[in-house]
Amino acid sequence: MDISPRSADDSPVHRLNPLTKLVFAVTVTVSAFALTMTWWPLLLFCTAVLPMVIASGTLRKFFPVLLALWVPIALTVYLIQGFFYPETSRVVAEIGPLELKYEGLVFATQTALRIMVLMGGFFLLLLTTHPGALMSAMTQRGMSPKTVYVVSAALQIAPALAGRAQGILHAQQARGLPVKGLRGRIRALVPMAGPLILGALTDVGDRAVAMETRGFGTSRRPTFLTEVSDTSAQRVARTVMGLCALTAVVANVLGVLR
Amino acid sequence: MIEFRDFSLTYPTGSRPALREIDLVVPRGQFCAVVGAEGAGKTTLAGVISGVVPHMTGGASKGSARVCGRLLTETPPSELVGEVGLVMQNPFSQLSGARFSLREELAFGLENLGVGRAEMIRRVERVMADLRLTALADLSPYELSGGQQQLLAIGSALVMRPAVMVLDEPTSQLDAVGTGVVFDALETLRAQGVTVVLFEHRMERLARCVDRVLVLDEGRTAADGPPADVLTDPRLADWGVAPLRYTTAARRAVGRGLWEEDRPLPVTLEAAADGFAAALKSARTTGGL
Repeated sequence: MDISPRSADDSPVHRLNPLTKLVFAVTVTVSAFALTMTWWPLLLFCTAVLPMVIASGTLRKFFPVLLALWVPIALTVYLIQGFFYPETSRVVAEIGPLELKYEGLVFATQTALRIMVLMGGFFLLLLTTHPGALMSAMTQRGMSPKTVYVVSAALQIAPALAGRAQGILHAQQARGLPVKGLRGRIRALVPMAGPLILGALTDVGDRAVAMETRGFGTSRRPTFLTEVSDTSAQRVARTVMGLCALTAVVANVLGVLR
Repeated sequence: MIEFRDFSLTYPTGSRPALREIDLVVPRGQFCAVVGAEGAGKTTLAGVISGVVPHMTGGASKGSARVCGRLLTETPPSELVGEVGLVMQNPFSQLSGARFSLREELAFGLENLGVGRAEMIRRVERVMADLRLTALADLSPYELSGGQQQLLAIGSALVMRPAVMVLDEPTSQLDAVGTGVVFDALETLRAQGVTVVLFEHRMERLARCVDRVLVLDEGRTAADGPPADVLTDPRLADWGVAPLRYTTAARRAVGRGLWEEDRPLPVTLEAAADGFAAALKSARTTGGL
């Protein structure tokens, strides 16, 4: 599922500095988890995340992605917390030996809504920000290029390994390895894992050479292909959002706004 | 530009030298091809010229090897960045793994060198146009085919504008069109004064455009000279290099009177066609046919 923005996508939200969107995602997440009022995450989602999504023009992409990933998680949370909530609580319904508990459902609602805010904030970031711009913004803000490299390489490793695994699987299939059905797929894992891991390890040596010859790790001050704009208004907004997140954490510690 | 004097190298795990007593001088702007059988020392030589061997592999060396005046055994590859470009056989492992589009991947080395953004864009766009990659600019490097990744790896080295370009079998995954694009780009480099050292097995194409061919055999220089001389040497097969089809055909034709004895053996299709046409004409004139 590719949710990166296309080059033609544009909106005021797309044009925001990636760090502003990252701080926004972190702030709404921290706020949703720090304050313990049950419906607070929903209010946050409707008043903060949703308007940003609408302003970015990504609503039609946002909801299918959010629902596809959030609904299974929410259902799992409801099942586990509803039936196995550890504290003594009011029983709403009985299904065989299982008891559906009221407090468990309330807790599940709050947890599911918090997860929705978390996902919403970060999906907004991913839908409106090219990963390269985010990495450039992080480096430009003083993060070590090596740290940024590790983050971006980690984001890329899944598609890279998936492509290689597919190639190995095709080669094994061509040599008669059955891969149909659940048992076949499980049996195919072993002959695929060896070449996949060994190949990845071999690549590390070659990649180190390639990186060295392309100047990675030199002491020169790097420049960036992706231009990341920033304004003083956004810097103020990031500070305010940071303070909001901090306030929410303090409120949680002090036990206010419960 | 490249100067090897009596240079030998033995890897830490090797029982015999991978390179033996290499004497090689490649002047600025020369397009030199290195050929040889598997295990002849081609990849080691490519590694030494680019500073990778012995710095990143280990190994004991004798003699001297210099590129752009720098003693290679004392210069790590990071200090040769911008002076020597290296393209290795496997394009997949040359991707940075940290860039999300072909355009960004091409710019990776320039970003590390601190090249200004305007200049960076100019160079990246130029390389994409030269290698016909512009239409793929926004694709992830991992979405590309093997051949496209190989062109990207070549582009990533070209964009750095090195004084010396070392390419180890850069067209192994390319079709005829892709190979043509790469050779055109290399010829343009040569015209710009870049020294190109190409380790390649596609003899027919390289015979047409290189200035010089070096044959390695068990780590030693077996032959060194213009392609017309080296690629027609009867000992070529003994060194593990398959002779060109045109040369083989002409050599067989000599014994049958279908190739003029004083005419040099051909290394290109055009020379072969001319030679056979001339032999045919001569045979008709003398009533041989």
